[in-house]
Amino acid sequence: MSDEAAMGLSEKAEPPVKQPAEAKRAPALESPAMRIAREFCEDRLAVLGLVLFLAIAAIAILAPWITPQNPYDLAQLDIMDGGLPPGSESFATGGTYWLGTDEQGRDMLSAIAYGLRISLLVATVSLAFAIAIGVAAGTTAAYLGGKVDTLIMRVVDLQLSFPSILIALILLALFGRGIDKVIIALIIVQWAYYARTVRSSAIVETRKDYIDAARCLALSHRRIMFRHLLPNCVPPLIVVGTVQIAQAIALEATLSFLGVGVPITEPSLGLLIANGYDYLLSGRYWVSIFPGIALVATIIAINLVGDRLRDVLNPRLQT
Amino acid sequence: MNVRPALLIASLVAATSLTPAMAADLSIGLKSEPTSMDPQFHNLATNAQVLENIFEGLTKQDAVQRLQPGLASKWEASDDTTWRFTLRDGVKFQNGSPLTARDVIYTLCRVPLVQNSPSPFTIYTGAISDVTAEGDDVVVVKTASANPLLPTDMASLPIVSADALGAEKTVTYKPDGKCKGMGDVPQSPAFNSPDIAVGTGPYKLDSFVRGSKLVLTKFDGYWGEAPAWDTVTMRPISSAGPRVAALLSGDVDMIESPPIQDIPRIEGAGFKIIDALSNRIIYLHLYQQDEKAPSITGTNGKNPLLDKRVREAISLSINRKAIVDRIMGGYAKAAGELLPPPMFGTNGREPDGYDPEKAKQLLAEAGYPDGFGITLGTPNDRYINDEKVAQAIAQMLTRIGIKTKVDAVTASQFFSRRNKLEFPIYLAGWGASTGEMSSPLKSLVATYDKETGMGPTNAGRYSNPAMDKILTEAMSTIDDTKREDLLKKAEQMVLDDYGIIPLHYEQTVWAMKKGLSYEPRVDQYTIAAEVKPASE
Repeated sequence: MSDEAAMGLSEKAEPPVKQPAEAKRAPALESPAMRIAREFCEDRLAVLGLVLFLAIAAIAILAPWITPQNPYDLAQLDIMDGGLPPGSESFATGGTYWLGTDEQGRDMLSAIAYGLRISLLVATVSLAFAIAIGVAAGTTAAYLGGKVDTLIMRVVDLQLSFPSILIALILLALFGRGIDKVIIALIIVQWAYYARTVRSSAIVETRKDYIDAARCLALSHRRIMFRHLLPNCVPPLIVVGTVQIAQAIALEATLSFLGVGVPITEPSLGLLIANGYDYLLSGRYWVSIFPGIALVATIIAINLVGDRLRDVLNPRLQT
Repeated sequence: MNVRPALLIASLVAATSLTPAMAADLSIGLKSEPTSMDPQFHNLATNAQVLENIFEGLTKQDAVQRLQPGLASKWEASDDTTWRFTLRDGVKFQNGSPLTARDVIYTLCRVPLVQNSPSPFTIYTGAISDVTAEGDDVVVVKTASANPLLPTDMASLPIVSADALGAEKTVTYKPDGKCKGMGDVPQSPAFNSPDIAVGTGPYKLDSFVRGSKLVLTKFDGYWGEAPAWDTVTMRPISSAGPRVAALLSGDVDMIESPPIQDIPRIEGAGFKIIDALSNRIIYLHLYQQDEKAPSITGTNGKNPLLDKRVREAISLSINRKAIVDRIMGGYAKAAGELLPPPMFGTNGREPDGYDPEKAKQLLAEAGYPDGFGITLGTPNDRYINDEKVAQAIAQMLTRIGIKTKVDAVTASQFFSRRNKLEFPIYLAGWGASTGEMSSPLKSLVATYDKETGMGPTNAGRYSNPAMDKILTEAMSTIDDTKREDLLKKAEQMVLDDYGIIPLHYEQTVWAMKKGLSYEPRVDQYTIAAEVKPASE
């Protein structure tokens, strides 16, 4: 029966992503990963989002090698090149500023690439740590139950009752500026979402027979939690993760826009937008608009991917 | 076709003649908001310009900083250390009690009792040895040594109401906060209540909501010219863009420091622009207290800023002209002194030239051929384009090898961190409230001494005993010519030593509706009470 199948799977310690309903429907030769890939590609918009995201990620990762200027190296900036419109030539180096410069003489094209780099770095690093903490807390709460569960979940409730921007602002007001501090703030803000998600799916799984079977085999709690229970909670985690990564990028941009995020000499997209904001009325649109487009494109791309993943991974939406 | 222009003119005439009656309310968009409603809490232009509507001093300064009678109708020096102030007749506080010598004594007594002041007013009262009343109308102020600037200092010491603050019937002056009869002295937060913030000015406090708005209402019993507005609303709009937008959309009638880059657009939209060179010097201060400078890297624990050659290198690395042209849009003047010449006590020293090669050479001579790392602190909402100037300076310093990070924070955070000496180098500004050289010297570069109130804003802790001596002498010289010579000498010593690095003098700009007029002030203050409906 399906219970035995589940037990058998977990015994082998393979990630048993397969749900009973899918098992019936999917052809025997298709692995879960292939099924997900196939279904994902059925939505063209999602594929477009993925391609866009990969392109953005490539620009971000390769920024130091492909940009004409290192916008964070103050020695490479020259205020005599400040405020030039897109397509202008540099007085200092003779190069062309395709997207113009800000008032410090920062090449907007390079600044956007580096800004994307910070946005993605902050988002992925904080995502990884927040997932690790959230998953540990969530599985522990679900598996152990009782007082531990109550304690962890009340902390989560407490934190989720405040808007994340508020918590992040308070933390950064205490810590001061800096990329590392933004990351810490984002981890603290985000772990609760994962803890909650993991706990709810883990609680369902804990009641299933394969966990009882594992307990009967006298496996250690840790082994049961992380080798048997956790793999069954992954799909919702992926969905929440993609939504949260976009959120993290937006949150970092907001914090930097408000002037509490990254240092002003190392602007991220949010700070670039904030800097350009001063010049919007005077017609220097490029300082604000281009980083804004980059930010919006990144968030939309991730959301498109996330939306589709949610559909693909949600057994209830499959008929 | 003939009817229309006539109609237009008629309606214009009607509109202008109606303006004074209609425009009984004034709203102003300010760049930053006061840190307190207590006029003795923070010696800061942001506070003074707002509080001057509510409180007045014995003397006051006009738009070009000439001294005028305020609450004292006249004053005289009876000898080198004694000043007699005669109080103006018929002045009433906003709570109805009349102004007497007791209020003046109470005011001077309270200054040292204000707790946690980030920039204390003791700088003006430190030298006062005794204050006595002769009847209700005459106040006699004695100073420990001759102080030619006492009447000028009085303009910065607004008189508070002894009754409103709960003083006893008689207040007796003793120096250093040991006065008798003070009662329970309210601290600064209490001044958010209109019952405590009681002055003699043309407007009284209605409400102050931090971060949102400050509302003043007309004081009908004002002794001087009747106030022009029924209510004055001041809103802090620290971002330049929204401030301009607020003006353009009619949310506010007037704004201070519109961004230089937006001026053509504001004028194009039919608003009035007023500007003038100010007495405000924007400077860099360098940590020179000891070897333990904060946030300096790559020097093996030494403080390079103690070396005069390094300080000179920093000054020579800065392209002041480029900053004025590019960052300040021409609305500033490169500075070589602490006050723009020809103000009292200036030398006419030229701004340091831009010479990065010599700067590098000086760094190498000082033993830092590869430079070092440093953090430049700056407020980001206090001075015109402050954080942009700081970034430009970081660029220029980095180019000679001093790898500079910029730590830009809002003004309130900046001032408290600066006073804790958290920055090895910081950008700030000083507007000489007295309009002469002793003000910047005494505040910014005189050796820090809490007791005497010297060097209160010297958060670089520069110390030059020889200069202190000349400055002290100047400050007790009543003869103007002699005093000016001494001040010139003292300033020259500091600048030759690169104890402080002048950057530029700000040019102040205001934008307002066509129907308003304002005389631009050298001290950069935006004083609501001096905004008048434009006369035809």
